[in-house]
Amino acid sequence: MAGTRDLEVAGPGAVALPGVMRRLLRRRAAAIVLVLLGLLILSAIAAPLLTSYSPTALAPRDRFLPPSPAHPFGTDELGRDLLTRVLFGGRIALGIGAASTVIAMLVGTAWGFIAAMRQGWTDEILMRLADATMAIPTILFALVLVAAFGASTVNLAIIIGLLLAPVTARLARSAALDELKSEYVLAAVASGATRTRILLSEVLPNTLPSLLVLATLNAASAILTEASLSFVGLGVQPPEASWGTLLFQGYQKLYQTIWYAIFPGVVIFMTIWLLNLLADQLQSVLDPRERESSRA
Amino acid sequence: MLALTSLLIFVTLRVIPGNPVITRYGATRGVDPKALEELMRQLGLDKPIPIQYLDWIGGVIKGDFGVSYFSQFSVTTLIGQRLGPTVELAAIALALALLISIPAGIIAGVRPNSLIDRALSAFATVGLAIPPFVLAIILVVIFAVGLKLLPAQGYVDFSENPGKNLTLVLLPSVTLAIVAAAPIVRFLRASILETIQSPYIRTAEGKGLLWRQVVLRHALPNALVPTVTVVGLIVGYMLGGVVVIEYVFGWQGLGALAVDAVLKRDYAVLQSVVLLVAAAFILVNLLVDLLYGVIDPRLRVGGQGT
Repeated sequence: MAGTRDLEVAGPGAVALPGVMRRLLRRRAAAIVLVLLGLLILSAIAAPLLTSYSPTALAPRDRFLPPSPAHPFGTDELGRDLLTRVLFGGRIALGIGAASTVIAMLVGTAWGFIAAMRQGWTDEILMRLADATMAIPTILFALVLVAAFGASTVNLAIIIGLLLAPVTARLARSAALDELKSEYVLAAVASGATRTRILLSEVLPNTLPSLLVLATLNAASAILTEASLSFVGLGVQPPEASWGTLLFQGYQKLYQTIWYAIFPGVVIFMTIWLLNLLADQLQSVLDPRERESSRA
Repeated sequence: MLALTSLLIFVTLRVIPGNPVITRYGATRGVDPKALEELMRQLGLDKPIPIQYLDWIGGVIKGDFGVSYFSQFSVTTLIGQRLGPTVELAAIALALALLISIPAGIIAGVRPNSLIDRALSAFATVGLAIPPFVLAIILVVIFAVGLKLLPAQGYVDFSENPGKNLTLVLLPSVTLAIVAAAPIVRFLRASILETIQSPYIRTAEGKGLLWRQVVLRHALPNALVPTVTVVGLIVGYMLGGVVVIEYVFGWQGLGALAVDAVLKRDYAVLQSVVLLVAAAFILVNLLVDLLYGVIDPRLRVGGQGT
């Protein structure tokens, strides 16, 4: 039905999580991607240490400076250092991205697992609800929710997290259904384990790798959605500024300086690109077919 | 399905103590309580919420979306003005996307790992990661700020000035087309690659058919079947992307209307725009399902497959 996404579910007998990480690091491309992503996250966390400017200090005499050793990204319309603003914007953008990914994974996995375990009516209602949500383009639904609940940073993380939950629920449900058919689950049933226990201690660990791929993709969508909302002025509200906010401010000043828009734009693009590449790498580590062919 | 979606939109917008009077007068205090009551009654907001919902849906079925909280116009009028521009933008973008992606996907799929395949696949990877508005800004920087060839922003109705309308639609539609083409290229490439390895293609080749004929008449129809689903999803993605793109380029369509409605807290307009877009998305996917039967005779027998 509407909004189905093709995401391959790693079948029964999928590899366990620590093994996945080890195998991932052995690939050079994946290792580079992980290091770059790590640097990006670190630069956001360590923002105050990396720059001598304050993100809000005004220097009206230094408006619209092009990149220079003193201001590697140039300055904005009020003379603020753009590198500093991008670093601090990253805290908000990545913070919201991370928080909403966690929310999406927790809510979505519970949603899908309950549907898979209960089946029948509960399954039907839960999955129709997921379909109905997914019929509305994410950005438009996000607009409705922002209109309803307001656009604080916390609200944005919750809203984006909840919007990504239905996709997660679908994958979690089909992954859980696959696992529930396998023999080790039958063995657990025979030994008297309760259904909740089976889900948490048998099914969850085995679906974790494919959920991990989805989490990576979810993080990319979350960052994109937040940036889009902030770009149209309905996301992060001033005086706070995420990458999307900066990009829009830069866009309005395009005829004065192009650097203002370019740096936030490049950073958003790089982040999403790296997350997509990581998801690709994870997927191919997890897919046994591809593992064979890459070895040959 | 659509009923559930509409309920979802409506309930979300009603949980808040949103008051349309604030949007009309700017504040609740200092407004004559009688005028307030009168306005609530006019807009039908004094009725119980389930009745409000039925009123709205009942109207929608008849093509009447209700009254805007903010302006005096009916929502139907507002949507009517904005529907044309959005359809124009989306249709041009989709046509461009298919024009780019289908040949590109075929070429890349037929010659895997060739130079052209690598170039096209790199393009697809970048296209998948680039947010529409970032691409939009890059294009504006190049074509409007740098080369000064095209206007950066604006909207003129086609009937007023066709030439101006088309130069204005160029940048937004190319932006959307590139973003939409990327996943189609990627998917069609994989699909072609898989198809040309099947035995019936070897048979066709063995019969002595031209390679071009083998690809276009034998491999392409089968490779297109799964791609059609992706195109359906892309349309949904474009309907979302349109929101931000219209905003960037000042294109007076539904997306810009939705952003405006949020800023003015005009929920009557917002709920109808979102419902309309969701309906369009569901309809497109229904069409895709029907299209399956046309391009794949095996699926024509009801109830089987998929």
